[in-house]
Amino acid sequence: MILKSMSKSNLIYLGVAVILLILPFILTGRSVQFMITQIFIFAIFAMSYDLLLGYTGIISFGHAMFFGIGAYTTAIFMDRYDASFGALLVAILVAVLFAAIVSFIVGVLTLRLKSHFYAMLTLAFAGLFLVAAEKWRSLTQGNDGFTFKVPEFLRDSTTIYIVSLVCLVLIFFGLRRMTQSPFGRVLVAIRENEERTISLGFKVLHYKVLVSVVSGIVASFAGVLYMLSLRFVNTSVFATDVTIDVLLMTIIGGVGTLVGPILGAALIELAHHWISGLANVHWIFERWIILYGTVYILVVIFFPLGLVGTIRSKLSNGSKQKIPSKKAG
Amino acid sequence: MDLIASLTVNGLATGMLIFLLAAGLTLIFGLMSVLNFAHGGLFIWGAYAGVWIYYITNSFLLAIIVAIITGLVLGLITERLIIRPVYGNHIQQILITLGFMLVLQELIKVVFGPDQKAVHPPAWLEGSFQMGDVILIKYRLFIIAIGLLLFLTIYLILKKTRIGLIVRAGVMDREMVQTLGINIRFVFMAVFMVGAALAALSGVLHAPYSGVIYAEMGLEFSILAFIVVVIGGMGSFTGSLFAAILVGLAQAFMAYYVPALSLAVNMLIMTVVLIFRPQGLFKVKG
Repeated sequence: MILKSMSKSNLIYLGVAVILLILPFILTGRSVQFMITQIFIFAIFAMSYDLLLGYTGIISFGHAMFFGIGAYTTAIFMDRYDASFGALLVAILVAVLFAAIVSFIVGVLTLRLKSHFYAMLTLAFAGLFLVAAEKWRSLTQGNDGFTFKVPEFLRDSTTIYIVSLVCLVLIFFGLRRMTQSPFGRVLVAIRENEERTISLGFKVLHYKVLVSVVSGIVASFAGVLYMLSLRFVNTSVFATDVTIDVLLMTIIGGVGTLVGPILGAALIELAHHWISGLANVHWIFERWIILYGTVYILVVIFFPLGLVGTIRSKLSNGSKQKIPSKKAG
Repeated sequence: MDLIASLTVNGLATGMLIFLLAAGLTLIFGLMSVLNFAHGGLFIWGAYAGVWIYYITNSFLLAIIVAIITGLVLGLITERLIIRPVYGNHIQQILITLGFMLVLQELIKVVFGPDQKAVHPPAWLEGSFQMGDVILIKYRLFIIAIGLLLFLTIYLILKKTRIGLIVRAGVMDREMVQTLGINIRFVFMAVFMVGAALAALSGVLHAPYSGVIYAEMGLEFSILAFIVVVIGGMGSFTGSLFAAILVGLAQAFMAYYVPALSLAVNMLIMTVVLIFRPQGLFKVKG
């Protein structure tokens, strides 16, 4: 029964993926393709955040730091060495390793403590990376940033679109497999009742650190893709705004669902696009963080399951199946 | 000698400002285990509201009073509208207070405009004392004096009065205090308002000290306050004073000798504390 419904949803996801794969050959405009590519990239980023917030109940306020690590590593490698495929592979490897080390250190330091510590420490660490990117001018050229070349075959907007889409699909199914594995079940157990999970004999800290490392790696990879599509880097990749965006995507889309963050990424990116177009209509649209912040507060209070979560709980009300993420928020 | 003295005064003054911010955070956390990420927003609202009055009336005393009132009112609003709906759910609390922080920060830009504002100390606090070859800037001494005075006042209130007894007992065991028939929610609201007022006061005092105010200052400064709360031990009032002075001094000396590393050194102190004493230097005894 479960297997059947699962393969049905898998079919739907694959169908959507195929449609998206054909899409760039119909919508050939560069700016449209670019925007959808951004959605894919932020969807990957938001899914990595969902692993922490949605599945394990860990709040990070510095997720931009991993995104920025991926972004700057790629940019610096592409700038310093020739823009070859080999250099890109090395850059990806370094970005992933660097993110893994940082997330491991932050995780080991704070995940044994109450959840507030992780939120605070990630906020502070992200601030540190932002300052470092501004001050270490010889490496990052500070706030101005720099442009760089990417490997020849990735310069076409359709190619980068398809590469991002393929990465999104692979990472989505990979993470889905992970969350449905025994490992993922333990993560959900930690979210629902940490003391009980401990008393059942699980080494909770190991699980939490491991999931934060996985999340950091995926976020860093999203940063790599972001750079390949943008070909320009500056300190804004480390800004709090990036963290806020990914928080919103995850929460509005639906925590603990993986599909939700993808939907959220699409919504937020489209909203960004739409609101920046409205900036000359009324000044309030220049202060879009107010709108976002208000929506965010209202969603947290009244709508903690997000879009996908709410729809799922409505659908399953009739049947016996229960939504596991009642408490998440 | 001259340099060391002036850096020390700098560090102490910064430390006092961070202490005012951290004191509210730590007491609120101790009482209700709510970590208020919007605290920096209260700080910046205190600064802007105070400076606005200061521009109009040219009275710094009035500016301080207005900042404190702003803090009390915003504290009440924050507690009622933002924190109360999500009591008991840590994840929601953390998420929602950060959201409110951003709204507060952006509202500053809407109400007072997005540009930086320059602020000078009032005439009676401008200038400096000269002691031998050591120059002591008056305004910084003023901040240190106010900080110490407030620390002593709150310390005495906590130690000697009945309300202080209730607060301290609440920090140790909230449920026990409730069973004794005390409305802990009300106590919490009062503490939250006082904490918010301290944050706002810190903001308005910080304005002439740094010479300029801008909306993002709140988040930047509250990161220091978080570091202080972690070092001092969450819930410990005395701990937050010592940690704030430590962080303030480290900040002042590093900002002079190795400016790029001034945030890093505080992070380093915090990391060391987290490794060896994760409960903070001053643990609240339960």
